[in-house]
Amino acid sequence: MTEEKALPPARESEGRKKPKNEGWIRWWGLGVFVGLTVTLAVVWLFLIDPFVKRIIEQTGTKLVGAKVEVGAAHVTLSPLGLTLSRLQATNPDAPMTNAVEVARITLSLDGVHLFRRKIIIEEMAVEGLRFGTPGQSSGAVTPSREPSVVAKLAATVPLPFFEVPDIKTVMATADLQSIKLVDSLQADIRKEQENWKKRLVELPDKATFNDYKTRIENVKSSAKGGVGGLLGAAGEVAAIQKDLEKDLAAIKQAKTDFDTQMNTLKQRVDQAIKAPQEDIRRLREQYSLSPQGLANMSGMLLRGKGGDWVRTGLTWYGKMQPILAQAQVSSKGPDVVKPIRGKGVDVRFKERAPLPDVLIRMATVSVQLDVGNLNGRIENITPDQHILGKPLTFAFAGDKLNGVQSIRLDGTMNRVMPVSPKDHMQVRVRGYQVPPTVLSDRVDWPVALGKAMADADLQVTVSGQAVAGQATVGLQSVKLTAGKPAAANPVIKAIGGALAGVTAFTVKAEIAGTVEQCDLQLTSDLDRVLKDAVGKQVQALADQFTKELESAVMARVGGPLNELKSSFGGLGGIGNELAARLTQGTALPQGSLEKALPGGLKLPF
Amino acid sequence: MMLRMLARLLAVLNSETHPGQISLGFCFAMVAGLTPFLSLHNLLVLLLVLVIRVNLSAFLLGLTLFSGLAFGLDPLFHRIGLAVLTHDSLEGLWTALYNSTLWRLEHFNNSIVMGSLFCSLLAFMPLYLLSNAAIRRYRAHILAWVEKTRVMQLLKASRFYSLYQSFSGLGGGL
Repeated sequence: MTEEKALPPARESEGRKKPKNEGWIRWWGLGVFVGLTVTLAVVWLFLIDPFVKRIIEQTGTKLVGAKVEVGAAHVTLSPLGLTLSRLQATNPDAPMTNAVEVARITLSLDGVHLFRRKIIIEEMAVEGLRFGTPGQSSGAVTPSREPSVVAKLAATVPLPFFEVPDIKTVMATADLQSIKLVDSLQADIRKEQENWKKRLVELPDKATFNDYKTRIENVKSSAKGGVGGLLGAAGEVAAIQKDLEKDLAAIKQAKTDFDTQMNTLKQRVDQAIKAPQEDIRRLREQYSLSPQGLANMSGMLLRGKGGDWVRTGLTWYGKMQPILAQAQVSSKGPDVVKPIRGKGVDVRFKERAPLPDVLIRMATVSVQLDVGNLNGRIENITPDQHILGKPLTFAFAGDKLNGVQSIRLDGTMNRVMPVSPKDHMQVRVRGYQVPPTVLSDRVDWPVALGKAMADADLQVTVSGQAVAGQATVGLQSVKLTAGKPAAANPVIKAIGGALAGVTAFTVKAEIAGTVEQCDLQLTSDLDRVLKDAVGKQVQALADQFTKELESAVMARVGGPLNELKSSFGGLGGIGNELAARLTQGTALPQGSLEKALPGGLKLPF
Repeated sequence: MMLRMLARLLAVLNSETHPGQISLGFCFAMVAGLTPFLSLHNLLVLLLVLVIRVNLSAFLLGLTLFSGLAFGLDPLFHRIGLAVLTHDSLEGLWTALYNSTLWRLEHFNNSIVMGSLFCSLLAFMPLYLLSNAAIRRYRAHILAWVEKTRVMQLLKASRFYSLYQSFSGLGGGL
């Protein structure tokens, strides 16, 4: 108020002009606005290509876990679309290799839905898709991972030995469990023997019972000395009874304890007696010399290659998961998603015609394999199948390829019900010329598949985490070689001869387990051929090895085992002693104490 | 920078511009500054600022101030926006807007966009009226007193005053 008085409004306005009155509309501003908007649009047009390229590279790298690079990106406005050239996605497990390389991707976008922040691609063409191409630089963005459980499954199972191993070498490295068991039991028995010897000293013995006899004789004498003597004798008899009951109870308890311990030790001794046989069985299996091993030798030979294929398949399946990873299952009310600090959260509301945020309705794909081109189409690629209501489907085919007559591959990846995902794939290959393949690289017993023509049918279903699959591979025009021509081992020679005569065989595979850890069981009619050819010889070798093993093991374990039996037998003496003392004690009152008192007086025991 | 901003503020306040034009500049600046800048509604704000004779200096000054303020207020806007968007009685409205392409482009369903737009629109008229009243009182009572103060005299002799003069020379109408 003071200031108002000091500076009256009239005086203040003297030094100031009145505000200009130019009206409220500034028409040139409209021109500036249009100019600005056009400039921004032009700048956007110039910057959109590198911007899209960068977004794809960043998002792809995040999804794959290794560097994704795009050679060039070009956005077209009419029709709205995008062209990408030379897209390379690094293999996270091999940073110097591209897991996927695509020469060109052309796609058309739905502009209206793009305004709604939905990327709906009606049609996409993927040309020149190749796998495992060499990268120019390392594309690693995360530390290398541990090999998966499936990779461990694929490790080759050693092939059986077809000669009797040197028994001295076997025994030098053998870790005999039976020896450890016998030694441990022997120590326990000795300890128990000592304990019982001490306990026997503390228990009533023959001298104690003789003492009772003396006391009873004394009672008899005193009972003859009139009424007073009789009363004194009765008191002494009661005292003897009490002492005797106590001593007998101690012996009975000791006998019960002893019997219990003996039963336990007996069981352990029985186990120790059987232990050498268990060692022999284990060593025999360790050296794989059994007709059973021969019965599944095709499984052993082919498991390495089969395991590789299963591992590759599951690795690719795992890589596809982020593409299908469901974003958010919608609930009844508004749905709050993607909480990002500083950027707020997007609240989703019910859509009249729901569509996924990202959807590729159809992609035509041309895959360049070593054998030639494989063409196909993939439909309904989206992480939100539950919104679309349709599963992803794919179908690829290739005919008259290099070394393959035809390939058909089709399947579905169904996440329509996110809680029960189910994926199915079937592959049909006809006329595949199998390249020369080493099935066993063991120096003493190499096995190689020289050539073959294969027809294969494979079906795999993944329900949740459970994997189940069957495959049948029929091989014809087969040329197998096994062992060296100059092999001295008659069994290997016989196997080589048998395999050389095989011209066709069928392999059946069963895949079961989980995506993380699955097992591959292979069976083949090759097993029957081998069993017929060398089954008896292998059995004879196995018998010889078993015999030698038995002798060697028993030579080492036999002595300690006999000592063990002897020590255990020694414990029987303690049992006999306890039984004898119990007999002496129980016989004493019945025989002597009742006679000590005159007629009519009976002892209560 | 602070000196330049203060000079600009004084230049705007001491200019012949109508108080309403300055206030409207502040109000539009509040909407554009508090809400995420690259929003569809800010295109409309820019159009209005350019077409309506709003004081552009006030708008640019306000935009700087409110943009800085928005960084600190984002958590509050997020909470308010989320409450508004998830309010049961408004679900029908938001669902209808969500199904409209134009509103989806506006990104109204983002908690910070909704919260900041809701708050700035709510404060628009009160800020306009308050600014108008404040500018009038400043011009009527404080400006003359400020010019006579010893501090102002010192300032007039400084670099600050030359800056002040340079902005005044432009008229502050822009």
